[in-house]
Amino acid sequence: MWEKKPILLMLMATAAILVGTTITMILPFVWVNTEADRIEGVTPYTPLEQEGRDIYMREGCNNCHTQTVRPLVAEVLRYGDYSKSGEFVYDRPFLWGSKRTGPDLARLGGKYPDAWHYQHMETPRSIFPKTNMPAYGWLSNNALKPDKVRRKMQVLGFPHSEAQIAELATKNEMDAIIAYMQKLGSDIPWRQTGRTEIVGELRNPFSGADQTTLAGWRPLYQSNCSACHGTNMEGGIGPELVGDYYDEETLFRIIYDGIAAGGMPAYANLGSERVWQLVNLIKYDQSTGD
Amino acid sequence: MDLASIMYLAVTFGLFVIFALIVGNTYKRKNKQKKEAPKYRMMDDD
Amino acid sequence: MGKPQYHTDIVKSFVNWSLVWGVVAVLVGVIVSFQMINPDLNYPPYFTFGRLRPIHTNAGIYGWGVGTIFAMFIYMVQRLCKTPLWSLGLARFQLWLFNATIIAAAVTLLLGYNTTLEYHEMEWPIDLMIVVLWVVFSINIIMTIIKRKEEQMYISLWYMMAALIGVAILFTVNALAVPVSAFKSYSIFAGTNSANVQWWFGHNAVAMALTAPPLAMFYYFLPKSTGVPIYSHRLSIIAFWSLIFMYLWTGAHHLLWTPIPDWIQTLAMAFSIMLIAPSWGSVINGYMSMKGQWHQMRDNYLVKFLILGITFYGLQTLQGPMQAIRTFSAFIHYTDWVPGHIHMGTMGWVSLVSVAGIYFLLPRIYGREVYSIPLANLHFWLVVIGQLIWSTSMWISGILQAGMWNAMNADGSLTYTFTETMVEMYPYWWIRAIGGVIYLIGILVFIYNVYMTVQKGKEPAPKLLEVEGRA
Repeated sequence: MWEKKPILLMLMATAAILVGTTITMILPFVWVNTEADRIEGVTPYTPLEQEGRDIYMREGCNNCHTQTVRPLVAEVLRYGDYSKSGEFVYDRPFLWGSKRTGPDLARLGGKYPDAWHYQHMETPRSIFPKTNMPAYGWLSNNALKPDKVRRKMQVLGFPHSEAQIAELATKNEMDAIIAYMQKLGSDIPWRQTGRTEIVGELRNPFSGADQTTLAGWRPLYQSNCSACHGTNMEGGIGPELVGDYYDEETLFRIIYDGIAAGGMPAYANLGSERVWQLVNLIKYDQSTGD
Repeated sequence: MDLASIMYLAVTFGLFVIFALIVGNTYKRKNKQKKEAPKYRMMDDD
Repeated sequence: MGKPQYHTDIVKSFVNWSLVWGVVAVLVGVIVSFQMINPDLNYPPYFTFGRLRPIHTNAGIYGWGVGTIFAMFIYMVQRLCKTPLWSLGLARFQLWLFNATIIAAAVTLLLGYNTTLEYHEMEWPIDLMIVVLWVVFSINIIMTIIKRKEEQMYISLWYMMAALIGVAILFTVNALAVPVSAFKSYSIFAGTNSANVQWWFGHNAVAMALTAPPLAMFYYFLPKSTGVPIYSHRLSIIAFWSLIFMYLWTGAHHLLWTPIPDWIQTLAMAFSIMLIAPSWGSVINGYMSMKGQWHQMRDNYLVKFLILGITFYGLQTLQGPMQAIRTFSAFIHYTDWVPGHIHMGTMGWVSLVSVAGIYFLLPRIYGREVYSIPLANLHFWLVVIGQLIWSTSMWISGILQAGMWNAMNADGSLTYTFTETMVEMYPYWWIRAIGGVIYLIGILVFIYNVYMTVQKGKEPAPKLLEVEGRA
């Protein structure tokens, strides 16, 4: 019957296609991005951040970087709190991506200081020597176009002031994309709520380690710390590391918890054993700067 | 069992019934010659 | 009754242009595979990985894939309906618009006009061109079917019609956006909704553009090449309707563990597993059609392309559902494994069946025998070996990568930093790039063979000329 009637066949095919479409694509609009999804504190992008987001899209950053943390142990440890639907209500379109050639960026905001980003975008290999991240220093040469951004903000319906638009004239594309990256995932206070409390007395398990043992831990320093504090602890984006400056326990807490205000990331995910190794290295390794 | 599970089962069962009817109808023995005829027709010189 | 005067010149043009865009797609693919090994090969602003990768995928899907669909549908619909194409003028306009669209897409993507929606990266003016293109094409095919001289519509026609409707719905909905300027727009969907709509599109674009049309070709070219009808018409009925019904539920398997509602993920997972049945319905139909004909794998190079093609389809449709299971997805999603999977489908299944179709057409549209069968065999082995190296290296590296991402120490801390895991990928990325180069050489052999067929191919056996009316 339908094999001899093309119009009938097409109507039947349309119906078949629309069942799954209606249930899994149309129906979810009833629940997603509604009041139930809403999260206090999630705000629209500022003009500078939105322009940064558009540059992120233009350069196709989503081809290598995802922006969604799954509720899986290793993933939450590596990137931070898992992503929630309400965090993305101002994303048109979403930028969750599908491939992690580079790391996930959903919780990047506030992880590193701005200076880290400027250096990393300019010469990624100065921070990660073997990375395949292309250099994006050329973004600094491109000025922003305030009138275009105003129009975008109007179309999106995001709040903006003329002062914010005027300020764009003094910024370049690098400033914009870094402002965007610093906003990612930081609308909810997950760093505070997800922080691991250290309880009980802190005791250095490697007290009195000899110089050979210390030398064995240097690769740990090189892969986690040297980009900011220098190969020989002489300082850079972060300060010079002077062994006598802090006692063991304070140093441990700084590395483990980070200093949010100072741009020092938390390294709790290294585990306390390796954090203690770093403490000993910084305090007692005689081959380095101090 | 909550309502969602019952719905889920009902939909699954409903789909299966529809599927079984289509298969039954397609494979009815008396239709065999007729139903398989088109595959020979397409082999004609074209 | 005299033979209808089929239009074949337009088929030639679509074949030629789809080959041009196919080479572009593979060449850009090889370039980006080297950029992943050495970041110094990025030449900003235009020639960076981020801007070239969408050109690779879209040239592959819209240039090579859709271009071949145009050629094959226009060829098959005339034969199966025993009537000339409804409007040659419309088809000529379609050819012009097709090339204009692909060029416009490539240029705008290079300039960075990118919506970031995968396989839908083109900005709104290009979207409009694609919509017009598809409507023009659909009208021509559907009108030809309506005006057909053969009452019965063969299996291939069902898949063709489903593809026409499916692509139209999917592409239009995902394109909905508010323009800001000539080449910038914002999707009307936000966040989680945007993700769900995109992967409803993304996965079903694979169904409607890269599954249904190659199946239409397979069901036509296999019997025509072997000279033996398809094994079961009835099985194809069941497979067809189940396939187009089930596919649309499965998009969310690209979004397992993300913030989209859990029940959508579960449905996607369940339907993905069920999809094995209709997919394998076609695979089994293909294999059973070979009953008593397996010697043709040795004697008939067309059969070799088609049967290897359907075999990769069978593997693809087992691996896909496996990846759609939550636990497995948790492990391999976002790793190199996934490109390994996709390329088995595109380089293995879709391209093998498409080139079989082109080899089949050549004598019938040019009136010349294929220039060299040994070259066709060389082409076959190069693309199959190239693709296997490509996919296998990515499956291995994907598992390695996933293992390292998840590795934890006894104290619950992560064993590796992200960069430490990336460094381990380089050897596999080298192997992958080499696989890509071998594949590219295979394509070049193919194009040489096509070119020489057109230039120097022998006059065909008289029977062919008699069979084919030439416009």
